[in-house]
Amino acid sequence: MVLSDSSIVVLALPEIYRELDTSVSGVTWVLVSFNLVMALAAVPAALLARRVGPGRAAAVGLAVFAGAGLACGLSDTLSTLILARCVQAIGGAAAVTASLELLPATVGSEQRAATVWAAAGATGAALGPALGGILTQLVSWQSIFLLQVPVALAAAVPILAVAKHEAATGVIEPELRRTGRPHMWANLALAMVSAAIAAALFLLVLLLIEGWRLSPITAALVVSVMPLAAVAGARLAETVEDARSRAAAGAILVSGGLAGLAFLPKATIALTIPPQILVGVGLALVLSALTETALGGRAPQAIHGGWTISARHAGVVIGLLVLTPIFTHEIDQQRHDAIDAGTAVILDSPVNPLLKIELAERVSERLEEQRGKVPTIGPAFEPLPEDPGARAEVQQLQSELQDQLDRGATHAFSTSFILAALLGLIALFPIALSKEVEL
Amino acid sequence: MRGRALVIGAIVASLVLVGAYLAAGGSSYEPEKVQNPCKPRPWSNPHSLGELANQFTTSALDGAACELGVTREALARALASPQARRRFAEKYGIDDEKLAQAIRAGLLRAVDDAEEAGALSPILAGPLREALKNIPLEEAIELVQDAKSLLGNLQGFLGLGSGLIERFLP
Repeated sequence: MVLSDSSIVVLALPEIYRELDTSVSGVTWVLVSFNLVMALAAVPAALLARRVGPGRAAAVGLAVFAGAGLACGLSDTLSTLILARCVQAIGGAAAVTASLELLPATVGSEQRAATVWAAAGATGAALGPALGGILTQLVSWQSIFLLQVPVALAAAVPILAVAKHEAATGVIEPELRRTGRPHMWANLALAMVSAAIAAALFLLVLLLIEGWRLSPITAALVVSVMPLAAVAGARLAETVEDARSRAAAGAILVSGGLAGLAFLPKATIALTIPPQILVGVGLALVLSALTETALGGRAPQAIHGGWTISARHAGVVIGLLVLTPIFTHEIDQQRHDAIDAGTAVILDSPVNPLLKIELAERVSERLEEQRGKVPTIGPAFEPLPEDPGARAEVQQLQSELQDQLDRGATHAFSTSFILAALLGLIALFPIALSKEVEL
Repeated sequence: MRGRALVIGAIVASLVLVGAYLAAGGSSYEPEKVQNPCKPRPWSNPHSLGELANQFTTSALDGAACELGVTREALARALASPQARRRFAEKYGIDDEKLAQAIRAGLLRAVDDAEEAGALSPILAGPLREALKNIPLEEAIELVQDAKSLLGNLQGFLGLGSGLIERFLP
């Protein structure tokens, strides 16, 4: 749940953006703040878990996570929402890192615990947007956070027994608190790949909702391809033992999928599916392989797990902070180009010049009303002329203008997708170095 | 499965996807570029007063936009309403006098283009040029918006009888 939380609000962002009357850059901080605090708090939270015991750390972490989730759900301003997200991330960091220490008792071994924990991280990241989109559409964006309250509290109940046991038996042996240095190359690769994956989730959702004007639930259904593909990717991962090959193949697939999204030949949902399959399979392969590599042979697991959480969320932050200004600038530029191209379609059409100017006026008004966004152009063409010939001409114009807007909205994301794909490819360098240097 | 096969499979799948999307036009799926208004736009053979008026409007907008250094499309939207014109003036720093001069130049270019294309007789083009040289801004805008009425009124003004322009059309 916590690991899906960094991406669960992605589909709710357009709704938050409208309801809290903020900017694209402003709303991005709902995501960035959570990931930034997770990146900063993960290792200290893991150290704390070692000091006070993982049961107590996880129970307190889940309680903080639930309380902050309630505050998120009740927020009516962007600043209170961001503040609550920061607190939620602190609780989440404690819960996630402590859970890695608790897992071996449940699954049998530290190695198996690392595998399960890594797989949960990959699945959570992929599942988050779809879940968030469905809740946003069926209930509200607030429901995403409010629903987390009972789930987090329910998860804390069985851990309370462990916490009580820890309180009774005392704390960890001093020598166990000594830690080796983190696996630099695997964590660096995790950061880069996470930046690319964050871009894939965030940009694709914005493209679907803000660019192509899909409803959150439709967008959720579209992006649910990624978690489904991630499940297939996890099965594929089990057939290959070599973690470095899995990581490399995963990074290549994520990059290939992102490049596919950068070169969409038409604004059609179906064409987003093959790139999503590549990203989904890729993220399952690469996240689990790198997390296993970073944890492999290292103790204590919570601390090294903390480093992987830190690297992943730092990567998400870097990805969002680098790519958001690029695509907000691009979307503005493409909006202008699309409007000019659409106006050219109207001017070059055979309709009556007076009607052309009237349409240009209505289009101009729509642009003014929806300044800074990709406009919905339909109302500018209403009411349609009564004469059947003129009506057909105007409908043709509307369709051609919409095509130009679709082109602009789609192309606006291309540069960001290409940069994200490059990040995924750059991750191949630390992946290549990881085996020789560290393992 | 061997690790190498997995990596090769990932490379092949990525290349196939990107290659297929590029082949389907993915690299050029963007808004069509608008034409430089200073570049001549070819006239087709107008078969009615309406078609002539359409091309006249396009030429006039091109001419005026070229004078102002903006796109024809931005100017067309600006002329749609007084509010749109105000926004345009603020954005580009263009006052009414400058706009009037540009639109007059645009209308004269439209007459030249129409005459050069053989769509407007020199008998009509000469007096039309004279009439357009000092036309006030609001009337100039109306003429760009409603070239058909301009051309129709010209017939009446010159007393040449109805259907004269149509007779000069190819």
